[in-house]
Amino acid sequence: MLSLLVGQVLNGAIVGSMYGIIALGITLTFGITGIVNFALGEFMMIGAYATFALAERAGVPYPLAVVPAALIAAGAGYLCNKAFFRFTRGNLVNGLLVSIGLISVFESAVLWYWSATPIEMHYVLPGALRVGDVSLPKMKLLVFAVIVLVIALTYAGLARTWLGRASYAYAQNPEAATLMGVHTERLVTAVMLYSTGLAGLGGALYASLYSLEPSLGGVYVLKGMEAAILGGIGSLMGSLWGGLILGVIEAVGSIFLPTAFRDAYGLAVLVAILLFRPAGLFGDES
Amino acid sequence: MLTIFIYTFLSGILAVTFDLIFGFTGQLSMFHPAVFGLAAYVTHLLVLHTGLPFWLATLPAAAAAVALAIVVGSICFKFRLKTFYFAVVTLAFAEMLRLIVMNWNSVTNGTLGLVVSGKPTIWWPGTGIVAIRGPVAWYYLTLAALAATVVICARVLASWMGRAFGAIRLNEDLARTLGINVFRYKLVSFAIGNALASFAGGLYGYYTGYIDPGYLGINQSMEVLAMVLLGGQGTLTGPIVGSFVLTGLPHIIDLRAEARAILYGVILIFTILVMPRGVVGTVRAWRGRRDV
Repeated sequence: MLSLLVGQVLNGAIVGSMYGIIALGITLTFGITGIVNFALGEFMMIGAYATFALAERAGVPYPLAVVPAALIAAGAGYLCNKAFFRFTRGNLVNGLLVSIGLISVFESAVLWYWSATPIEMHYVLPGALRVGDVSLPKMKLLVFAVIVLVIALTYAGLARTWLGRASYAYAQNPEAATLMGVHTERLVTAVMLYSTGLAGLGGALYASLYSLEPSLGGVYVLKGMEAAILGGIGSLMGSLWGGLILGVIEAVGSIFLPTAFRDAYGLAVLVAILLFRPAGLFGDES
Repeated sequence: MLTIFIYTFLSGILAVTFDLIFGFTGQLSMFHPAVFGLAAYVTHLLVLHTGLPFWLATLPAAAAAVALAIVVGSICFKFRLKTFYFAVVTLAFAEMLRLIVMNWNSVTNGTLGLVVSGKPTIWWPGTGIVAIRGPVAWYYLTLAALAATVVICARVLASWMGRAFGAIRLNEDLARTLGINVFRYKLVSFAIGNALASFAGGLYGYYTGYIDPGYLGINQSMEVLAMVLLGGQGTLTGPIVGSFVLTGLPHIIDLRAEARAILYGVILIFTILVMPRGVVGTVRAWRGRRDV
C-alpha cells in the first residue's frame, strides 16, 4: 500500500510538472499582459506534433527535435500575437474570446491533417529506475528534471535580468514602464513568444511519454489554468507548485475513488481555492 | 430546410438565454451547456421511468436547473468572482456535471447516450391530443418556444430587474453603491437564463431523439458564445441571427467537419476583432449614426 501511494505521488508529481509548465505560460501572460490565453494548450499540442513530425518523419533525433519544436510553437504564437492579440490589448475579455476561437482553429487544423487517431513516438529513453518497490521510467524522470530546470531558470531570469525587471514593471504599471524606457509592445510580444514556446516545449516533452491526439490541448489548458490559479496567478514558482500539487492530488485520489473522476478532484480543489483563498497558495493578496 | 430553422430556434433559445447572463449582466458563464444537457437527461428519464407527459416532465428539469443555478451562482457571486475566474469556475462545475453524467452508467447509460423515442404531445382545439411529429409540427413548436423565451426575456429586461442587470454590467461597484443588491440580481439573471435554457434541453433531446454527455461539454459553450458574439451581445435579436448563421452555415457550405470548425473559429475571431458588437449591434450603430 505504501509503495502504491509513493508511486502514485511520484507519478503525480511528474504529470504535475507538465501542468506546471503550462501554468507558467498562463501566469506569465496573464500577470504581465493581462490576457488569458486559453489557446496555450493548442500551442502545446503544436509543439508535440512538431516534435513527432521532426523526429519520426524527418528523422531528426529526439533531443535535437525538442528545441525546434518549441520554436515552431513560439513562431505560431508570434503570428497569433501579430495578427490577433495585438488588437485586443485594451480589451482583455476580447483577448480571452479570441483565444477561445483560436482553440477551434488549431485543433481542427491538426485534426484535419493528422486525424484523430492517436500517434506515438518511438521510445526515446527506455528503461526504468527502481527505487525500493517503485519503478520509475527514466524518461519521465528526465522530463520532470527538464521542466523543473526550465521553470527555475525562468524564475531566475525574471528576477535577475533587465528584461525580467522590465516585465515586473510593466505588470505593475504599464504607463510608468513606458516612461522608464521599456519598449512595451516588444515586451508583450516577447512574453507571448516565451509563453507559447514554453507550452511547445511542454508538448515536445509530452510527445516522448504519451500518445498524441489533437484534443490534448483542451485537457492540458484546463489543468494548466487550475494549476495556475491554485498556485497563485502572479507567482512563477507558484505555478510549478500548483501543478505538482494538482498532479499529486489527482494521482492519489485515483487510488481511492474511480479513475473516471480524476479530473473532478482538480476541479473541486480549484473551486475550493478560489472561494477561500482566491490569490492562490503563493499569490499576493492584492 | 425546415430542419435548419428548427435547430436555429432551439439553439436560439440557448443563445438568447445565454445573452441574458453574458450580454446584459456581463457575466461570462460557461455553465449553460451543463443545464441544457442535464435538462435533456432529466426530462427524458422522468418520462421514461414515471410516465409523466413531456410538458410536466420539463418542470422538474427546470426546477433542477434553477436549483443548480442557485447553488453554483451563490458560490460564485458570494465570493464576487471576476470575469475570468467566474468563467473558469462555471466551466469547472459544468465539467464536473459532465463527468458525473458520463460515468453514472446505471442511470444515464454513460457515453453511449440515451435514445429518446417518445414525442411531446399538445392539446390542439378540435383534434384533441396530438403528438408532435414531423418537421412542420416541430417547426411551429420550436418557434413558439423561442418566441415565448424572447417575450419572457424582454419582459424581464424591461422591468427593474433588467435595469439592475444593465447597471451591474456597466459598473458593478457603482451599482452596489447605488443600493442595487448585486448578488441577488446576478443570481436572478443566472437562474432565469439557466431555467429557460433547460426547456431548450428538453425539446432538443426529444427532437433529435438522442442524448449523450457531450451536450454538457465545452464545445457547446463555445458554440453558444460564438452565436451570441456574432449576432450581437446585449441584444435579443442578435443571438437569434447568430444562431441562424452558424446553424445554417454547415448546410449551405458543404465542408468537412474539421474545416467547419476552423471556419467557426475564424468567424469568432473575425467578429471580435472587426465587429465586437456583432451583426445586430453594428447595424444598429450604423443606423444610429446615419440619423445624426
